[in-house]
Amino acid sequence: MTIFLASLGFGLVTASVLAIAAIGFTLQFGVTDVLNLAYGAVMIAGAFIAYVINQAGLNIWAGLVVAVAACSAGSVLLNAGVYTPFQRRGASPITMVIVSLGMTLIIEFGVAAIAGGTSVSYTMSQGPSVHAGGLVLSTVQLVVIGLSLLVMAGTHVLLRYTRLGKAMRATAANRTLARNCGIRTGRVISATWAITGGLCGLAGVVFAMDAGSFGPTSTDLFLILILAAVFLGGPGQAYGAMLGAVIIGLATEISAAYITPDYKYVIAFVALLVMLGVRPTGLLGARL
Amino acid sequence: MNSYYVINLLIYAAVDATACLGLNQQFGVAGVTNFGFIIFQAAGGYTAAILALPNQSANGGFQSYIGGWNLPFPLPWIGAAVVGGLIALPFTFLVGRRLRGDFAAVGLLVTAVLLNLLATNYRPLLNGDAGLSLIPQPLQGEYNPQSSGYQWVLAAVAIVVCALVYLFVRRITESPYGRSLRAMRDNDLVADSLGKSLLSLRTAMLVTGGAIAGLSGGILVSYITTWSPAAWGYAETVVLFAAVIIGGAGNHLGAILGAVLVPVGFEEVTRYIPTSNNLPPNLIPSLEWVAIGLLIVGFLWVRPQGILPERKRVIKTAALSPAGAPRAAGGLDTLSSPDTLGTPDAPSTGSGSPAASATPVPLAPTATSVGSSASSTFGAPSNPFATLPSFTPPVRSAAQAPSTAAERTPGPEIVLEAIDVTREFGGVRAVAGVSFAVRRGTMTGLIGPNGAGKSTLLAMLAGTLPVSSGHIRYEGEDVTRLPAYRRARLGLVRTFQLASEFKRLTVLENLLSAVPGNRGDSFRGALAGPRYWRADEAAAIARAQVLLAQFGLEGHANSYAGDLSGGQRRLVEIMRALMAEPRVLLLDEPMAGVHPNLARRIGNELTALCAGGLTVLMVEHELAIMDEFCDPVVAMAEGAVLAEGTMAELRSRTEVVEAYLVG
Repeated sequence: MTIFLASLGFGLVTASVLAIAAIGFTLQFGVTDVLNLAYGAVMIAGAFIAYVINQAGLNIWAGLVVAVAACSAGSVLLNAGVYTPFQRRGASPITMVIVSLGMTLIIEFGVAAIAGGTSVSYTMSQGPSVHAGGLVLSTVQLVVIGLSLLVMAGTHVLLRYTRLGKAMRATAANRTLARNCGIRTGRVISATWAITGGLCGLAGVVFAMDAGSFGPTSTDLFLILILAAVFLGGPGQAYGAMLGAVIIGLATEISAAYITPDYKYVIAFVALLVMLGVRPTGLLGARL
Repeated sequence: MNSYYVINLLIYAAVDATACLGLNQQFGVAGVTNFGFIIFQAAGGYTAAILALPNQSANGGFQSYIGGWNLPFPLPWIGAAVVGGLIALPFTFLVGRRLRGDFAAVGLLVTAVLLNLLATNYRPLLNGDAGLSLIPQPLQGEYNPQSSGYQWVLAAVAIVVCALVYLFVRRITESPYGRSLRAMRDNDLVADSLGKSLLSLRTAMLVTGGAIAGLSGGILVSYITTWSPAAWGYAETVVLFAAVIIGGAGNHLGAILGAVLVPVGFEEVTRYIPTSNNLPPNLIPSLEWVAIGLLIVGFLWVRPQGILPERKRVIKTAALSPAGAPRAAGGLDTLSSPDTLGTPDAPSTGSGSPAASATPVPLAPTATSVGSSASSTFGAPSNPFATLPSFTPPVRSAAQAPSTAAERTPGPEIVLEAIDVTREFGGVRAVAGVSFAVRRGTMTGLIGPNGAGKSTLLAMLAGTLPVSSGHIRYEGEDVTRLPAYRRARLGLVRTFQLASEFKRLTVLENLLSAVPGNRGDSFRGALAGPRYWRADEAAAIARAQVLLAQFGLEGHANSYAGDLSGGQRRLVEIMRALMAEPRVLLLDEPMAGVHPNLARRIGNELTALCAGGLTVLMVEHELAIMDEFCDPVVAMAEGAVLAEGTMAELRSRTEVVEAYLVG
């Protein structure tokens, strides 16, 4: 029982990190139509930016804010400098994926070239542990869960109640039609890259906090979890990504407690392949 | 420069070139983006290793692995190729028609990452992280593997294998089967609608490429004698992709060039970077990866076709007889001049037409006979296809049917029928319970305002879209569950509303790609070689030429279809559909963007074909066309059939007129 509760705790934290990352990924894909495999690389770049700030003697939470801003700006640039030009030329979805894979190498190993190949950790205190109904969570873990809930609520408000959110949904559903209806899709797409890039940076830092130590290639495997969560919920679907993140996060950590931790990614992988093969539109069906 | 260095270089070049040929066959030729390509090389490496290694206890038991059969050369290499091909089979569920190509690619990429993780962590199977070592080299009992003679021979064998693989993939690519693969690459949905089974084509490519990758892995481990998960990270696939893209996707010589430039080149260049001084240890390898990423993105931007682009397949065609050709060309120039204006393809048009007319020697006896018959019937309103031997069988069988049907029913027999067909898109009913029938030999029109559901209905009839409910009957059979390619093979062929030519196939190749029953249009037929399929090919070319002359595009026979004007591309699509030997032809706005005079001529040709037994169902907005050629005409609005009758009858129906004016 204690094993179960402990793994449930880990699972909640993983699910929280995953939810932030998966919401960003799925919105990015849904609205901009770019299956951005460089997402994991941008995440780890954010984690390292926060590390640099942290090493300079500042609080890690200050580093987190800087990382979010940097990844947001970086994603906008990535889109404006690379993806949009290719899309304007009429590049096929497959070409876009290959380009994003090339960008993955550039960003990920660019980070490795600067940071070196070794793993690093933030200088931070985990804060006092909190006991809640048999669960033991550190303050930092609670903050991560809180941040994730905030992101989910914020996404809901954004998509349901704001003009931008509605414009994003319209652009995702049919870009040409949205443009003909007077929506400035170019701006909406830039705004989407800014928002999802910020989420990506946030996910990178909380991922690094949760992992303890991290290196330039640490998100290679985490990307599998993100993809699994996204495809479980249906690509492009924000609520689906939340659901997928909770399922994948809990399933991987709880299974890791009972089987061996080495294979925790297998569940996510199997879930991803089953979804791809059987129901590529995800558990929640239609579009965003 | 010692001989060891040269041998090392040659073997790596041969292995990488072999792998790139396999990847190019999948990605460059068939458009199957296999981001998990390295899995297959890895499988070949491990297979060759455990086949060649003695039992695990034999060499001190410091490594654990399954197998250990100690088999003699060349069994480990054969095993590597076989296993590389076999493990492709589980992946076929990812590459059917249902899944987007980029999603399938992601699935394969993730599989590569995960399998590497498993191989690293699970020791009993293949010795985990440390990998296998002390793998016996070929015939090392008889010869001394350390001797330079042995190594030279090994390098020579590797190069010979690479050359054989090159001949193998070239034979496949340059056959009618290879043309089908390239058609699928350019537009899979259209290839599907022309009777190509995407699943079987892609499966064949996954297996073929997998076997080649496996073989390359087997050769590699025979030389380096070790194999571990570190040698096949997912990023190694990206290196091979970079090689194929840079060398020239679709060109097998380009793939070899890319292999020499990228994987081999990078390995060599970094040897000359001083390793000493105070550089961080990880810097150079990291920068190498950055450079590969930059090369991929840069090349896709600056020169997406690669250093050696896929070459154009110019098919030398026998000239039409002098009497007919000038007349056809002259008539067409006036007709299609609005379309050809501003065509960006002026130079290639020029290069194409001499090829079509410069060879007066007929390619085959059929070519001349067909050519002369075409020239004699050209311009006449009678069915010009009736004289075509290869076109006659479907027309004849179709033509016989009405006589028996006429005894039972007043009109001709029903050949295609929709019964209460519905299609929903997320709650919106694009087609709501439509029932109607198309009778044999008619040219039925389908009209209606935008959003009436005409194209959706057509797609369901052809099988490109599944029905939400209802049934489709074709020639008395329920075909509701048949996929599009099976319906196409039964003679139910469609065209598309949007431009759907195979861009990187020439006009002639576009036409030839649709021909059913070419002996070379199968994996086996392709391997049997040109002598096996040349006669079929010549007959198909002859038929295509007649059509080209009829529609006035013979001057563009060897132009890339993607370079034609919009109107010309529509013609290519109609001709291509006719090449598929349809019995029922579903045309989605065939006249859109076509000059009215040419549209009228297309209408006349189709009318003539209908007299010979063809049935046409045509969606068209140009009501003048409907007036002139279509009877009956079906009017749709808001997903339902409003009325059916001649155009004159429909004009008198107020609800039809209102639907058009209001809708």
